[in-house]
Amino acid sequence: MPMIQRKQVIPGDVVAKGNYRYGSYIEKRGEEYVALRVGLAEVGRDEIKLNPFTGPYLPRTDDEVIGKVIDINGFGWVIDINSCFDGFLPASFVFGRDFSPATHDLSSKFRVGDILGTRIESYERSRDPQLSIRGEGYGKISSGEIVKISPTKVPRVIGRRGTMINLISEKTGCDIRVGQNGVIVVDGSPDGIVKAIKAIRLVEEETHAPDLMSKVEAALGGGVVGGN
Amino acid sequence: MMKKNHVVESITKERMVQLLASGKRLDGRALDQPRNLNIETGVIPKANGSARVTLGNTLVLAGVKIATGIPFPDTPDKGILMVNAEILPMSSPYAEAGPPSEDAIELARVTDRGIRESEMVDMTKLGLIPGKSVIAVFVDCNIMNVDGNLFDATSYAVVSALRTAKMNRYVVKDDKAVATDELIPVPVERTPVSVTIARIGDKLVVDPNSEEEASMDMRITITTDDYGNICASQKGEASTISPEQVLQAADTSISVGKAIRAKILEATS
Amino acid sequence: MAGTKKLIDENGIRLDGRKWNELRPIKLQVGVMKNADGSAYIEWGKNKIMAAVYGPKEVHPKHQVLPDRALLRCRYHMAPFSVDERKNPAPSRREIEISKVIREALVSAVIVEDYPRTAIEVWVEVLQSDGGSRVAGITAASLALADAGINMRDLVVGCSCGLIGEQVVSDLDDTEDKEGNGDMPVAIMPNLGLVSLLQVDGVYTRENFQKAFELAIEKGKQIYQMQREALTTRFFGGEAQSTEVEEAAE
Repeated sequence: MPMIQRKQVIPGDVVAKGNYRYGSYIEKRGEEYVALRVGLAEVGRDEIKLNPFTGPYLPRTDDEVIGKVIDINGFGWVIDINSCFDGFLPASFVFGRDFSPATHDLSSKFRVGDILGTRIESYERSRDPQLSIRGEGYGKISSGEIVKISPTKVPRVIGRRGTMINLISEKTGCDIRVGQNGVIVVDGSPDGIVKAIKAIRLVEEETHAPDLMSKVEAALGGGVVGGN
Repeated sequence: MMKKNHVVESITKERMVQLLASGKRLDGRALDQPRNLNIETGVIPKANGSARVTLGNTLVLAGVKIATGIPFPDTPDKGILMVNAEILPMSSPYAEAGPPSEDAIELARVTDRGIRESEMVDMTKLGLIPGKSVIAVFVDCNIMNVDGNLFDATSYAVVSALRTAKMNRYVVKDDKAVATDELIPVPVERTPVSVTIARIGDKLVVDPNSEEEASMDMRITITTDDYGNICASQKGEASTISPEQVLQAADTSISVGKAIRAKILEATS
Repeated sequence: MAGTKKLIDENGIRLDGRKWNELRPIKLQVGVMKNADGSAYIEWGKNKIMAAVYGPKEVHPKHQVLPDRALLRCRYHMAPFSVDERKNPAPSRREIEISKVIREALVSAVIVEDYPRTAIEVWVEVLQSDGGSRVAGITAASLALADAGINMRDLVVGCSCGLIGEQVVSDLDDTEDKEGNGDMPVAIMPNLGLVSLLQVDGVYTRENFQKAFELAIEKGKQIYQMQREALTTRFFGGEAQSTEVEEAAE
């Protein structure tokens, strides 16, 4: 079995020397590969990865994000997507190509404060992200509780092929939507919501603990029987 | 600039209003229950007095500086007291660097009024040479983290810092005020306590956090003294309040203020 | 030079008991503020300084937007009660200059090209001041940037050295700064071996200049170890570890 080396690193630390393929948050300086973030570096046979422990959400095309309407102008909705840029949902994406500011009332569809499940339609470094709600499950989210986590922890909350989020969902009977931007909406019974949020916080706290899955399972299972 | 903090998620506000109808709040508090108050004094040794106050996640640091000054012409034998507050740009994503905002100035003035009008500090004991020299007490407040109700957190920080402040005793020699090495307390007579109440829907809630402040349409701050007297008040936000609710708020401030005063006295005695 | 004798005695011991090349006690803590994206608190001698970072965020006013990189904003500010005589809360010329040199000391470490059209804000608030508050502020601010998860080439760490009489000393406190004969704040990126802040006042021989400068770098590297510890304590609960695992195990 090939071995990988896991290293806890801070910005400026040398992760490895030699010749590797490398991903984000790593810079090559001569022979050295240097970390740009606090995180866990994984040095495999020919590849280096860095999983950051903290950092902002930067938009990527096709990401599913959960956002909040913060403004409406004549041509669409301005959405806070927990990022350095606000997203924009054009009215024509919602009302169709015959949209006209004179005949359509934007606030009849979404109001300031509404929470939307959206997809990033396009984003370039020179332009703010454009959002879309086309496709099943996108659009206004009408109930539930909002939880915000560090966007860097989203992959762990979802788990491999969705295993973690499915576990939490099954054990609590909650419907859980996770945006890549770190915004999560949990909906279900009041008790279920409390338990699901606790489990999400546990994953957030102990992101890289070994056997996190069983820890979460124990925490969730324990609540039912009233034990630990 | 767009203020994202002024937008509460609709689904959150809906739940807030639903819960309030049954006498509960999103964070589990009762309507008349303030958040956890924590007071630490003497945190800035270079200041004459200081206090670090947390009210929930709102964090305020107050520091007292004492010097001599020239009295105001209309009060030649009384000392000078000045309360000032700055909402630091680090305190929230929406705060900005630059000259004090309207909100920061209102905050400083409302806090100042509560301290001044309650006659917390006996200004007559701060006179040195009538018309020439008096003791000037400056209280500066750094708002370091904002999670609602800056009025009360700031007021508790000022009161706690003043209650624990020490100043040099002055003597008058040859018509000059001279500081001695002896340290004495600031002449504190009363303990004013500010209680802020927000109205969300038709419910009044004590000590609103930032989520509740973003959902309120009216706010009233009432300061009471040790004897249950009301000594300062400020109604805020662009909405009205009925006379009945004013009286209800006054009663709440007196009763809630009593419990908070006990906490302040315990932390500063 | 009347004060010189008082500041350091014939055995080379300074007023507070330190030797010529010793540091004052330093305490660092990362992730201490609720609202900020990143924060760090430093106590260094009598300095008590909070640094907080927000961003990357949208730039206001819009005309300040840089199309190809982030705009790094920095404010060094002293609380009115941080000094012996109450300070006017409005920023002084000194604070404005220090804000600028702190920004310039940090910006070489931040990969601003990764965040075009955004602002990254660094707020340094001096709650109680002592000598060396700018280098303490830089040391804390760089931790706050790392805490916020901004891409950085290296941390930035500062230390000030200077002169008492003709004696080079490290880490001047308030009295030594005011009554001594020279102050030289230096900030470095320790892994890259580069200097990002250098200010000098006082009159140095060529030899003393080099001695003070090199001492500041050496002491900076010592403080860097404390920075590391504060950061790894916050994120890994202790020293950074390295382990080998089988590839299949996640």
